[in-house]
Amino acid sequence: MAITAVIDPVTRIEGHLEIEVQVDAVKGVQKVVEAHAAGTLFRGFENILMNRPPEDAQHLTQRICGVCPVPHGMAAVMALDSAFKVTPPANARIMRNLVLGANFIQSHILHFYHLTLPDFIDGPAMPPWQPSWKADKRFDAATTSTLVQHYVKALEMTRKAHEMGALFGGRMPDPPAYIPGGFTTTPRAGRIKKFQAYLNELIPFIQDIYISDVELLGFLYKDYFSIGRGRGHLLAYGVFDQDNAGNVKLLKRGLVVNGSTTVGPVDATRITEQVTYSWYSDNTHNLKPSSGLTVPQYPKTGAYSWLKAPRYGGYPMEVGPLARMWVNGDYRKGISVMDRHMARAQEALKLAQAMRSWVGQLTAGGAVYAECSPPASATSFGLTEAPRGALGHWLKIVNSKIGKYQVVTPTCWNASPRDGAGKRGPIEMALIGTPVQDIAQPTEVVRVIHSFDPCLSCAVHVMRPAEGRKVYALGHYRGR
Amino acid sequence: MNISRREFLKLCGTSAAAIGLTVGDLKLLKKALANPNGPTVIWLQGSGCTGCSESFLNFISTTRPQTAADVLISSINLTYHPNLMALAGDSAVAQAQKAYNAGGYVLAIEGGVPTKFGGNACRAWSFNGQRVTFQQAVVDLASRAAAILCIGTCAAWGGIPAAPPNPTGVKGVKAVTGKNTINIAGCPPHPDWIAWAVVQLVLGSTINLDANGRPTALYGSNMHQNCPRRDSDRAIIPGVDNACQIYLGCQGPVTNSSCPSTLWNNRQNWCIDANARCLGCTSPTFPGTQLFSYVGGPAGPHRPDFIQSNLNQCQQCHSGTTAEAGSTGGAVGTGPHSPAFIQSHLNKCQQCHSGKTAGAGGTGGAGRTGGAGGTGPHGAAFIKSHKNQCQQCH
Repeated sequence: MAITAVIDPVTRIEGHLEIEVQVDAVKGVQKVVEAHAAGTLFRGFENILMNRPPEDAQHLTQRICGVCPVPHGMAAVMALDSAFKVTPPANARIMRNLVLGANFIQSHILHFYHLTLPDFIDGPAMPPWQPSWKADKRFDAATTSTLVQHYVKALEMTRKAHEMGALFGGRMPDPPAYIPGGFTTTPRAGRIKKFQAYLNELIPFIQDIYISDVELLGFLYKDYFSIGRGRGHLLAYGVFDQDNAGNVKLLKRGLVVNGSTTVGPVDATRITEQVTYSWYSDNTHNLKPSSGLTVPQYPKTGAYSWLKAPRYGGYPMEVGPLARMWVNGDYRKGISVMDRHMARAQEALKLAQAMRSWVGQLTAGGAVYAECSPPASATSFGLTEAPRGALGHWLKIVNSKIGKYQVVTPTCWNASPRDGAGKRGPIEMALIGTPVQDIAQPTEVVRVIHSFDPCLSCAVHVMRPAEGRKVYALGHYRGR
Repeated sequence: MNISRREFLKLCGTSAAAIGLTVGDLKLLKKALANPNGPTVIWLQGSGCTGCSESFLNFISTTRPQTAADVLISSINLTYHPNLMALAGDSAVAQAQKAYNAGGYVLAIEGGVPTKFGGNACRAWSFNGQRVTFQQAVVDLASRAAAILCIGTCAAWGGIPAAPPNPTGVKGVKAVTGKNTINIAGCPPHPDWIAWAVVQLVLGSTINLDANGRPTALYGSNMHQNCPRRDSDRAIIPGVDNACQIYLGCQGPVTNSSCPSTLWNNRQNWCIDANARCLGCTSPTFPGTQLFSYVGGPAGPHRPDFIQSNLNQCQQCHSGTTAEAGSTGGAVGTGPHSPAFIQSHLNKCQQCHSGKTAGAGGTGGAGRTGGAGGTGPHGAAFIKSHKNQCQQCH
């Protein structure tokens, strides 16, 4: 007999997420047989942006998510640059990348130590770390103690990554320096030097502690290399432009079907957002983001999430560090809970090392801004990557104001509900088949969810499945 | 902690009135401080972005508590925090429930409270099979809290999710609960401000609040008045070092915060030193209908009727300011110092304003103000002697 569990909230994520899973015996092993993921926060950012000056967009959209504000600022200024028909100077491109890189590093370290690790170890014997679920904690006391020390050390490292980003960004989170046409900060020599000093501290931490700890986790929890695969459809918009035209990126754009090693091109016009199971009007179903509308409808029969279901040519796509590293050819060991952690850690190192060379390319005293002004009307978009995956902003300017703004966040992809064809979203799919020892403490379910680094402020809704059999895990995602 | 607690109990008589506590609240607060692990804190997240928590984790100080971890481990008993706690689902909610039953905790709220859709635009959690909206959780938990901290502008007054058209009917905590709140404003607030508020509660120090519920110790001074660039040349395009951003719509003159002295991220930088404009993120009106609308604009301090009615104050900084300039004295809006105007007339501006700033010298120099007085282009004398030229555009 199947048992339903609801996890609400799913903690240690950003935003509000509920997960409902149904667990049943499959060949004698208790496993997840059905899953629904629901975003439980709706703010209506896209409607708030309407009729505002276009250059408000990069400031407001950064507040979609406090964990990954910079990618929203980046996507917004990319869309605005395009609308304003301006190419920012090299200094601006590099500083935009450096501050975004600082956000990636901060977020990746935070994700592993502060959001994920408590699934595997017991923290200090006091709130908020204890009480905790006791199931399946495999580290010995000495190693646990070391990892707790690394947890505290990682807090220092995430703080320093933010300080590094603030050198050019102005402050973190929510750096104000991103503007259409470039960047406000000038790369003074003192700042360049300080930025390098921060990198010199962060890189050894990533290399010697973060990656080592992830490998240790993978060694002790080898079974998680075969848990949480999902369909293996991977999508990356690519990020960190290496030239002003944006043709060369540190992490390439591309698309992979079912874990293939063949990488296909991405055609952004094939992206649509489906709302069959989302609390939005069916009149807005399957629209392209460029013509998308956000019309909330609550309650709505059959709907279970505040997240829309983005699809690429009808496919649910997983996005995130594993997708990026896979598309780029940097990591193709597998697709699973543990592979996501491995790819994320290795991406942090690859990026930090690249940043060391970028910061050397800054020209003190060089231009940071190219003059530009809002056009009366324009249609444009910006595609980039957040730490947790592909991020797109679609913009329409009407009468020099924002006439339409649509955001498709990474967690909207990953934690999407079912689509019009009934296909599960990537997290829902990855949960299927996950063994669950103790339904009262479904730690395995939470581990699968956390491997995606959901950020629901932006995006996620999970709906209730058919009445009768469900296991739910509820939590916070970043959404819009 | 023991010393802190005694100190608190001694001082709470005076602090109670200041933070709007009733006698009943006071009893609860005393109980909170009797906990050997420090006061119990329940941290809820509503219609927000987690940016306030992210900012708090950056806390660093030379005195105790020195870091966010220090606050968590040594100062408080953080019984519920969605991003940090180990537990999930019912078992997590049970911790909040336990604290609620005991009463007398500090309730820290991040994010606004959506009231539309029956509160269902934001759910706090499910408990015992019941789905609980954030609105309901806030109302319930506020009823037994010893003190309520609004962490960030959203919790205090609604913030960005409450911006027009306020799609989900977001309100601040006080508007929803009717309870007095200590508003640690900012989008996000500086980590020092959050830690300061927590420490004041632990110590029982007096917290004086302004009319908007913000501690005057943090928000008692005007950003522009303390800005090191206040008397600098005015930038007329972005990306110019050491220039005042007022013509570009900086909100400093209408914003209260201690940013000029605290700086940000361990003093590595702050908005102004990055040549960025103050967004006014600590204001109850943030983000309004457009971010950079007030200053010098139709409703801003360089508007002639504003100057007329505030002449004494203006003259404290701007010697000889008069309000004779007519309707074009604004730095924003449609006036000649609006960013849009400057961008589209840059060649013309640069005929008078050398380089990228509108400096005090030279024929067209605006002096201190973007507007009304002095020898600048909107000064009465200038306009008289350049009437033909002015009328080409105006």
